[in-house]
Amino acid sequence: MLKYANFALVLGTLVTASVLYNLEHETRSNERTIAKSKAEMIDNVEAIKLLKAEWSSLTRPERLQRLAEQHLGMTHLQPDQIVTAQELPQRLQDLVKAEGAASQGTIDDILKKMQ
Amino acid sequence: MDEQNIIDRNRGLKGQNRIRLLGLFYVMFFCVIGIQLVRHTVFEPEEGEAKRIARQADRVPRPDIVDRNGVVLATDVSVASLFADPRKILDIEEAVELISSTMPDVDAADLRKKLTAPGRAFVWIKRQVSPEERDAVYNLGIPGVAYINERKRVYPQGRLTAHTVGYVDVDTKGIAGIEKYLDNAGAIYTASLAEPGRPMSAPAQLAMDVRVQHALVDEIAKAIVKFKAAAGGGIVMDIETGEIVALASLPDFNPNAESKSFGKDQQNRMLSGVYELGSVVKAVTFAMAFDYGVMNMNSKFDARYPLVVGNARINDFHAQRRVLTVPEVFTNSSNIGTAKMALAVGIEGHKEFLGRVGLLDRLLTEVPETAKPLLPKRWGRLVSATAAFGHGFAVQPLQGLSVVSGILNGGKLLQPTFMRRTKEEADVLAKQVVKQSVSQNMRELFRLNATEGSAGKADIPGYRVGGKTGTAEKVVRGRYSKDHRLASFIGAFPMDNPRYAILVMLDEPKPLPETYGFATSGWNAVPTAGNIIARIAPLLGIVPVLTDADRVKLEKQRKAKKG
Repeated sequence: MLKYANFALVLGTLVTASVLYNLEHETRSNERTIAKSKAEMIDNVEAIKLLKAEWSSLTRPERLQRLAEQHLGMTHLQPDQIVTAQELPQRLQDLVKAEGAASQGTIDDILKKMQ
Repeated sequence: MDEQNIIDRNRGLKGQNRIRLLGLFYVMFFCVIGIQLVRHTVFEPEEGEAKRIARQADRVPRPDIVDRNGVVLATDVSVASLFADPRKILDIEEAVELISSTMPDVDAADLRKKLTAPGRAFVWIKRQVSPEERDAVYNLGIPGVAYINERKRVYPQGRLTAHTVGYVDVDTKGIAGIEKYLDNAGAIYTASLAEPGRPMSAPAQLAMDVRVQHALVDEIAKAIVKFKAAAGGGIVMDIETGEIVALASLPDFNPNAESKSFGKDQQNRMLSGVYELGSVVKAVTFAMAFDYGVMNMNSKFDARYPLVVGNARINDFHAQRRVLTVPEVFTNSSNIGTAKMALAVGIEGHKEFLGRVGLLDRLLTEVPETAKPLLPKRWGRLVSATAAFGHGFAVQPLQGLSVVSGILNGGKLLQPTFMRRTKEEADVLAKQVVKQSVSQNMRELFRLNATEGSAGKADIPGYRVGGKTGTAEKVVRGRYSKDHRLASFIGAFPMDNPRYAILVMLDEPKPLPETYGFATSGWNAVPTAGNIIARIAPLLGIVPVLTDADRVKLEKQRKAKKG
């Protein structure tokens, strides 16, 4: 009897040990994954920071001005080049709408009228 | 037999009890093993947890610095630093040779000295090396030589923002500018940016706009070359919030430079230098006279004869020799007229007003290196009269601009700031120094001076610029020199409801043939300010209002440029 009980206990211990060992193994591997991901995240954050710094350095206004003057022939904006929406000539679309409401003419009629 | 049986049975029972007891021990033994197994595998060790938290708490990260649009001005990047443990190096001679041949800028003799010094376990070989250098040295395979990753502060915009942002030393400790503010006075602000539980922090946002900053620096640099000036500077400030949108001081410096020993010439002239701004100070005197009610826009001042105070005579630079109205005193920049205003107010009133606008005290901003205004020590009638037009009266340019802003924005004096500030916050901080009506009068005078007076070359069509010029003679060897001048311009735009104030200063501009031999502010600082306003006004969202005359003027300019 005692033999069986002992055997059962040993078996029980072995089973527990192996289950727990597997569990731990899994946990360790998960932990490794987490640590790896964290390290990767830090690396990526560092890389993002570096890229942002590089972007800021590449879009330096002084550099952009030099490039724009060299390759695009751009100059400074003059005050009379800024126009408000009200100053724009009326759009054809709006004219059509206004005319369309008054008389059911075609676009050709309206264009003729405008001339 | 029976007895024997009973004894045997008893003995058997006794034996069984013993066996049960033994069994119980076995069960308990296995239980303990089981519990220990679970404890060691499933639950985390406790002491490790405590250590991890402690490690996270010990470093407050330095925040990035960004401009008002989020452009990175300063950030940390990770770089390797090489070090050695001399005790582990087998052959120091060989190691020195290998390292110095891999990195030519490492001084072999110096390294040998460091490595052979007795009793040292840690020696920096070179800090902040490039990844290529790091790999090259690491691949030499010298035992005892290794690297650790360190944080390095970089300034992607380089010189452009150097004076405002400042810089840090090799241990990332703030030495100048906002960097120093983040460490010292602004430590609470810095801590508030940190994200709890994470080794990161939100960026510190400045009021600066790099686009405006560039336009300012670019135009001032061009002006320094054109007028052969010794130095120059400029500030653009939001008049309603006191935010410093741009601040330039030339010559500047490269904050990314390896050695950070910058000379006095590279200091921030806008803050740490005091200058006699000359006639620009007249604006303060005018506001004072209006505020005390000793004159109104229709008052007249006799400028026919030099003003005699004690045994000194005050004369005009552009003598008109007639009775001038208040606007004429302003546009002709009459010393006589302005001195008379100060005398009408009186010495005590004059001092009280200067105190009210803060000109008697040091102006404090986030950037620590500021200078105290230099004022006459003893006030008499003569001192009051000459201080009225800016003689013997030196202030840091930023302070001058902030006072003029306060006068023009409706009388609300604001402490200028390099950090972001909303209109609501500014309204709470503002101190009413002059009446609303005074501010209105001053706006008119400033605008008039641009349409008719000495600031005409800054009157960019459409942007309603107003301003006051100043040309001060510099003190050279204790005397005012006729050939060393400081030209300045303080203005604002659009004048009907000022949004931005601007200051331009040129140190010792030289006369040119195209300026007809003049070296006064109207010929150098003013056109420079005009160029700056033409570039920055669209960036700042100022809508130009053009009259037909303006359009004709612009068309003419365009043709002149083409032809």
